[in-house]
Amino acid sequence: MSERALAERFNEVVLPHLGDALALARWLTGNAADAEDVVQDACIKAHAGIAGYAGGNARAWLLTIVRNTSYTWMARNRPRGMLAVGDLGDLDDMAAAHGTSLPDEDGPEASLIAKADTAALEAAIAALPPPFRETLVLRDINGLSYREISAMLAVPIGTVMSRLARARGLLASELGRAS
Amino acid sequence: MTHDDGLPNDPEGIRLMIHALVDGELDAAAALAVERRIAADPKLAAEHARIVALQGAVSRLPRPDVSDAFRARIAAIGTPTTEQQAPAEATEPPRGAPSALPGLIAGAGGGQRREAGTRPSQARPSPRARRFVSFDWRAMAASIMISAVLASGATQWVMQSGVDDGFAAAVASGHRRSLLAASPIDIVSSDRHTVKPWLDARIGVSPPAPDLAQDGFALIGGRVEVISGRPVPALVYRHREHLITLVAEPQQGGKTTKPDDLSSGGFSMVHWSDGAFSYWAISDMERPELDDFVARFRKAAV
Repeated sequence: MSERALAERFNEVVLPHLGDALALARWLTGNAADAEDVVQDACIKAHAGIAGYAGGNARAWLLTIVRNTSYTWMARNRPRGMLAVGDLGDLDDMAAAHGTSLPDEDGPEASLIAKADTAALEAAIAALPPPFRETLVLRDINGLSYREISAMLAVPIGTVMSRLARARGLLASELGRAS
Repeated sequence: MTHDDGLPNDPEGIRLMIHALVDGELDAAAALAVERRIAADPKLAAEHARIVALQGAVSRLPRPDVSDAFRARIAAIGTPTTEQQAPAEATEPPRGAPSALPGLIAGAGGGQRREAGTRPSQARPSPRARRFVSFDWRAMAASIMISAVLASGATQWVMQSGVDDGFAAAVASGHRRSLLAASPIDIVSSDRHTVKPWLDARIGVSPPAPDLAQDGFALIGGRVEVISGRPVPALVYRHREHLITLVAEPQQGGKTTKPDDLSSGGFSMVHWSDGAFSYWAISDMERPELDDFVARFRKAAV
C-alpha cells in the first residue's frame, strides 16, 4: 500500500474516534492532560501499525491501542500506585471492602441515581477498582459490546459481565449512600 | 421458585442477565424471558430500574473536548513529514501537492472539528447504535483534505528552493510542527533568565536569548528540537501575529558566516553563524522583517 493510501487510511480510521480515545485515556490515567499525551502516543503506534489493521470495528481497534498505551505510559510515568494488569486475585476482597449490598428500598433509588450530579458520579467512577472501572468505561462510556471488551481485555465474556455488574453495583451503592 | 425458561436460577446469574438485557446483548427469546422474570418480581424490577438509571447517568457524563489543536496534531502524524519520519526526510522524494501556509491548515482543521465534534454527543443516547457507526464520512472527507494539504511538506519546499541541507529541512518542519502543536513552546517565559537555565538544565547548552520586546520582537519561550538525532535549543519570538523559531546549533569549528537567505514557499529562513552557534531563523513573516529581526538579534547577542 502506498504511503498516501496509508495516510488516508490512518485519517479515516483514527480521526473520527479521537473523542472516544480521549475519554478512555482520561478514565484510565485519571487526568485530561495525561490523556492527550497517551492518545498522541497511541496514535503514533496506530500509525505505525495501520498497514496491519484488517478492517472491522475501527473504534475497538483504536481503543485497544489506547488501553495498552495507557498502561505502558502509567508504568513509565507512575510506577507507584498502579495496580499491575492481570493481578486480579484480590478483586473479590476489594469489592467486598466497598460493600456491594444495596439498600432495600425500591422505586426512589433509581430516580436518585438518575439525578446524581456529574461530580459525584465522576468521583464514584474514579474510586472504582481499576479492572471494574475499565470495564464500565469501555461499555457505558465507549459503548463497546461485551464481545469487543472480552477480546480487548483477553478475558472470557462471563468475566466481562461479572465485572460490569460489580462496577455498577458499587456505583449504585456509592450514589445511594451519598444521596 | 424455579422457572422453566432456560435462564439461570441463582440470583447472581439472573442479575447478570438483567445487565445483559439493559446492554442489548440478549437475543429476542432470552430478552423476553428476562423481561417476564422482571415483571413477576418487584426486586428484579427495582434492580432493572437501577441499572437503566445508572447507565443513563454514566452515558450522559461530559466527554473530553477534542481541541482543534489536538486534532491537527494527530492528523499531522498521518502525513509523511512528521517527526517519526524525520530521518528519512532528507532523501524522500517530493510529494505532488502544492505548498500551503500554516494558517490555511489551521483553518481546515477548525472547520472539520466543528462538524465532527458534534457527532459523539448526538450519537450518545444509543450505545448500541453507535457500535455500528464506524466512520463519520464528513469528518473523513475533511481529514483527507487536511492530509493532502499537510502532505506538501518542508521536503518539497526545500527541494524547490535548492537547499540540499537536511538540517534546514528539519528546522523548517520543526517550525511547522510547532505551529500545529497545542503550544509552540515548552517553557513559556518572556524572561531570558528563565528560558536559558531551563535549556541549560534540559540539554546542557543555551544560546544567547536577548529579549527584543522593545524592538517589537518579544521572547515568548523556548523548546528543544531534535534534529539529526541531536537535541538542540530553539527560542521562540513573536512579532505581531507571527512566530519566529530560532534554532541555535552549537558549533564545533567556530566559523563565522554572514546571514544567508534560504527563503521560499511562504516561509522566510535565514542562516548565520557567530562562532559559538549556528543559527537558523524561520518564520512566515516577510523576508525584510525577518532580516530586521536577524540584525537586531545579532547586535544584541554580541
